[in-house]
Amino acid sequence: MRRPSNLSLVDVILWALRVAIVVGVAVGVFTTLSTTRLSGDQWRDLLIFGISQGSVYALVALGYTLVYGVLLMINFAHGDVFMFGGMTAFFAASWLNSNGILNTSPLIAVPIILVVGALSSTIVALLLERIAYRPLRRAPRLVPLITAIGASLFISNSVRGLYGDGVKAYPRVEALQGTFNILGIPILKTHLVVILAAFFLMLALYWFVERTRTGRAMRAVSEDKDTAALMGIDVDRIISITFAIGGALAGAAGVLYAFVYNQVIWSMGFLPGIKAFTAAVLGGIGSIVGAMLGGLMLGVLESLAPTLLLAGFGVPSPNQLRDVIAFSVLVLVLIFRPYGLFGRPEGK
Amino acid sequence: MSRNLTVRSAVRAGLIAGVVMVYLVAVGIASAFAKREVVTGFLTLGHLMLVLPAVGIGYILAGRPISNSLRITHAAAAGLAAGLLFAAAFLAAEALSPGIRTVLNRVSTDLLAFVGFRDLGLEPAAGAALNVAIPTALAVIAALVRVAPTSVRRAIVGGATAMVLLSMVEPFLRPRLLQFGVPLVAQFIYKSHGLSTASAAIVLVIGAVLATIWPGARSAARNRVAAADPGTRKMLRWATILVGIAFLYTLPVISGSFLTQVLVLVGFYVLLGLGLNIVVGYAGLLDLGYVAFYAVGAYFTALITSPTSALGWGLNWWVALPIVIVLSAMVGLFIGAPVLRLRGDYLAIVTLGFGEIARVLLGSDALKPWLGGPNGILSVPFMIDDGTYFLPIVGKVTGPAATYFPLMGFCILAAFIAYRLKYSRTGRAWNAMREDEDVAQATGISTVNYKLLAFAMGAAVGCVGGAIYATHLQGVVPGGFVLQVSITVLAVVVLGGMGSIPGIIVGALALIGLPELLREFAEYKVLVYGAVLVAVMLLRPEGLIPDASRRAELEEAREIEEGELKVEYDEITGDA
Amino acid sequence: MTSTDTQPAIDAAAERPLLVATDVTKAFEGLVANREIDFNIPRGSIVAIIGPNGAGKTTFFNQLSGVYHPTSGTIEFDGIDISQMAPHVVAGLGVARTYQNIRLFQNMTVINNVMVGRHVRMRGQWYQAITGLGGIRQEEDATRRRAFELLELVGISRRMSAELSKNLPYGDQRRLEIARALASDPKLLLLDEPTAGMNPGETRQMTDFIGRLRRELGLTILLIEHDMKVVMGVSERITVLDYGEKIAEGTPAEIRANPRVIEAYLGKQATA
Repeated sequence: MRRPSNLSLVDVILWALRVAIVVGVAVGVFTTLSTTRLSGDQWRDLLIFGISQGSVYALVALGYTLVYGVLLMINFAHGDVFMFGGMTAFFAASWLNSNGILNTSPLIAVPIILVVGALSSTIVALLLERIAYRPLRRAPRLVPLITAIGASLFISNSVRGLYGDGVKAYPRVEALQGTFNILGIPILKTHLVVILAAFFLMLALYWFVERTRTGRAMRAVSEDKDTAALMGIDVDRIISITFAIGGALAGAAGVLYAFVYNQVIWSMGFLPGIKAFTAAVLGGIGSIVGAMLGGLMLGVLESLAPTLLLAGFGVPSPNQLRDVIAFSVLVLVLIFRPYGLFGRPEGK
Repeated sequence: MSRNLTVRSAVRAGLIAGVVMVYLVAVGIASAFAKREVVTGFLTLGHLMLVLPAVGIGYILAGRPISNSLRITHAAAAGLAAGLLFAAAFLAAEALSPGIRTVLNRVSTDLLAFVGFRDLGLEPAAGAALNVAIPTALAVIAALVRVAPTSVRRAIVGGATAMVLLSMVEPFLRPRLLQFGVPLVAQFIYKSHGLSTASAAIVLVIGAVLATIWPGARSAARNRVAAADPGTRKMLRWATILVGIAFLYTLPVISGSFLTQVLVLVGFYVLLGLGLNIVVGYAGLLDLGYVAFYAVGAYFTALITSPTSALGWGLNWWVALPIVIVLSAMVGLFIGAPVLRLRGDYLAIVTLGFGEIARVLLGSDALKPWLGGPNGILSVPFMIDDGTYFLPIVGKVTGPAATYFPLMGFCILAAFIAYRLKYSRTGRAWNAMREDEDVAQATGISTVNYKLLAFAMGAAVGCVGGAIYATHLQGVVPGGFVLQVSITVLAVVVLGGMGSIPGIIVGALALIGLPELLREFAEYKVLVYGAVLVAVMLLRPEGLIPDASRRAELEEAREIEEGELKVEYDEITGDA
Repeated sequence: MTSTDTQPAIDAAAERPLLVATDVTKAFEGLVANREIDFNIPRGSIVAIIGPNGAGKTTFFNQLSGVYHPTSGTIEFDGIDISQMAPHVVAGLGVARTYQNIRLFQNMTVINNVMVGRHVRMRGQWYQAITGLGGIRQEEDATRRRAFELLELVGISRRMSAELSKNLPYGDQRRLEIARALASDPKLLLLDEPTAGMNPGETRQMTDFIGRLRRELGLTILLIEHDMKVVMGVSERITVLDYGEKIAEGTPAEIRANPRVIEAYLGKQATA
């Protein structure tokens, strides 16, 4: 192909895209707001739902960002780790429900369920690292990615075979029903629990990474694996710990997700997984704060945008296109700002 | 395996084999396959599945660089470990049954009866003991086979494989035998759906004999070919290709309707695989959204050729095809251009994003006026007449065979194009780019241009596949364009060997053809795809049939050298 | 116009250096790797750049081949400003290079590595490859012949031509890289530590070989080297970098005696 200034063709396309997006967003938002489709209360509820959803994304995104930090690979199977936690915790929840503990002592039962979820996900994550990723540490970059895809399919379909095809309905937790009033704003208790739990876990992680020896070692390994090894850090162990932490957070997120949607199914890992990855990239992959903020942003965006943006264009059933919003964010961020909001471009 | 050569490591390997056995049962693969008879009344595919881990581990351990007696010991230890673990799991399941079914939903009393040999009248304890003894024994046997003299080993493996293969092709072979008027043969070979005992014994022997002769015959043939002069060799190559094409041409006739349908499905994936191969195998760009091009081709074709679509032009398929190809190539360029600069993993995710956006948009209400929403576009006319036409030798062509022939034609064309590109300046540039992008640039290759070219070509091939798909189904629905298609195509390319054309055919046959023939397999298809991807990457990343370019290079080099020697000789002798 | 009138122009052109770098500075986010370097390479010469580790030699090299672009300053190759050009364009103009830690196309065969090196001098397009038209067969044959010639030149046996390049012994890999670079008929050859990892015998062979390249192919060669015997033995002019700046330039004898150079390598004590 002999186009002399091909670079400029690419640039033209990119600029056209930029303009289209800015104009599109502006027009959509303006039209929606000016036609007052939703009441203030409805917007507020959407916002809260978005924050709750976003917290879940943030927890899962942390797993992606941590693993990427140390291994420079995208753990494509992370979404299924998330699913596994929610799925296994379902059995715990059912058992606790069948002997009544779930509703008589929810303050004991709910944390147990969370722990079960986190623990099972941790185990899967560790197995994943050990079996599928560790042997391929030095392989060309396509290889671990393909392996991760295979692992994702394997895990989700194994769960399908082991636990069955259908949806599993989480038992009703009486304590989580109804709303809570904060400053006069009614918030669904489930959402409140999700947001608080996620926030707490994120704080814990932040403290761990910044203040403990192991956390420091993790940061060292993500900076420069080989030098860290020379400094006496057991790189394999740190990587395993990283996977374990990421897995635990994802497992907890799986349980929280199940509380919001009241059900789990073997295929529930894919979409949240991709969206969490989008969140991680949005915030800047490798950055912990970025993953947290990216998750929240994406959750809110996903909640508000269909109505805010698309309805303005008169698009029928805008909520069908929710996933398109998330995927579009992913694509656009990777095209225009692959290092995310809180990352910095690599110099050349 | 590992460099650790202790008995403990053998035990550990055995425990892993045991876990695999438990897994196969818990996931339901064993019971699904148990419905498939190999030798009626004696052996089912389910049994084979269950013994495979033990046999495998015994065989592998017997390859360790230790003495034969140690090898047997290790294999026995591993088999014992596997058996103990499996038996323990069995007993635990028995104890927890029937409650365990609420968690592991395959573990029914029937399953436990199957595993515990209840049908032989055994109590759980006896069943457990048998489950310890069998894997141990089989592991030892496998080890013995491995350490046996090569010809013995070949004979046993060959015979066993032949037997299993013959039993597996029953759904296809028996109807053919009946069709060709030899029902007695069919009755002799097959009893119910598996082999009869007599035929099993016979095919074991035949397989053993063939396996023993095969290596000798093959190397003899190879030597004959190598000794021949380049002209003859070239002729042989062409002859093989022509025979292959002739075989493909007559295949629908001897295959029957069902098998032809399977072949059509395989053909689609071969075509898509060839297209993705250009993007992934040659240029090294991991595209997880390849289904988007397939969809573009299908939907554009539907829009242009269907009289009831939003466009309603109702053009002839062959007229529409070039238009669709050009449009797809443009889409390929549009998608490729913004993502060119992205690193491998990111590129994969972005293309995945594109693919998913396309999937959602295709079925959305928003685009329903043009794309028909969940119902898609209907009334797409068939590419040739109305699905029935005549061909030389084959005669009347109708049904799935009507798609088969044009599809084969396009596959051959695509394979030809892929082959030509591979051994050209373009192919080399792609390979260099895949190997080391920076150095390729410094060598003068414009990576931007070549990446775009790869995307455009991959898009074009994929879209042709989509166009054929649309006319095959005589309509398009969004449900056919899901992520799984992209991943399946990727698995086909990866399994066969990235960059390898024969590999894609083998990969498609294995991953698409096999599940159709082993219907019991179908439910676990995606599971197997995932396992295959992981296994291939861990064990043999170059795929089943690695890039043959090396052999071809050798061939070319020899030809040139011999050509030059001939020139020299002619000059010396004055013949020039 | 008589030939003598054009002669001065031709002589002047012959006199003009093949490469002229003026005031080249390269900064990375706070680290200045090259600072205001003036550098030229006379046509047909063999020159070297030396300096302690981290002096900025490879960064400078990268700017000459277009991988990096100078933050300020200009680079002119054969009269053309290549300061902002993409690497593949620079390669097309006649700059070829090898790498410090050998970057062959590992999973490609030996012969393919050399043939792909010739990419810029070939014209075959993808549609010609498919149809077989446009003289593509002849071009491929000619390129393959040239590739075999180059393999012979660098001393790699023909029997290895179908081997994967990653399977070659170390010395052969180095030579293959040079063959690949030569395949594009470059005017300027950049060699980044060509004798790294070699024993004295191999080093001598490489030194002779570099001399041969200039003699037989009329190449202009720029080396980065650490092995002083090679540098002193084969180069006509040496440029010394330290901490991103040019600290000396001259003939081998001059450089050997230059106190600043000695200080840069051995520290202030050595000259005290």
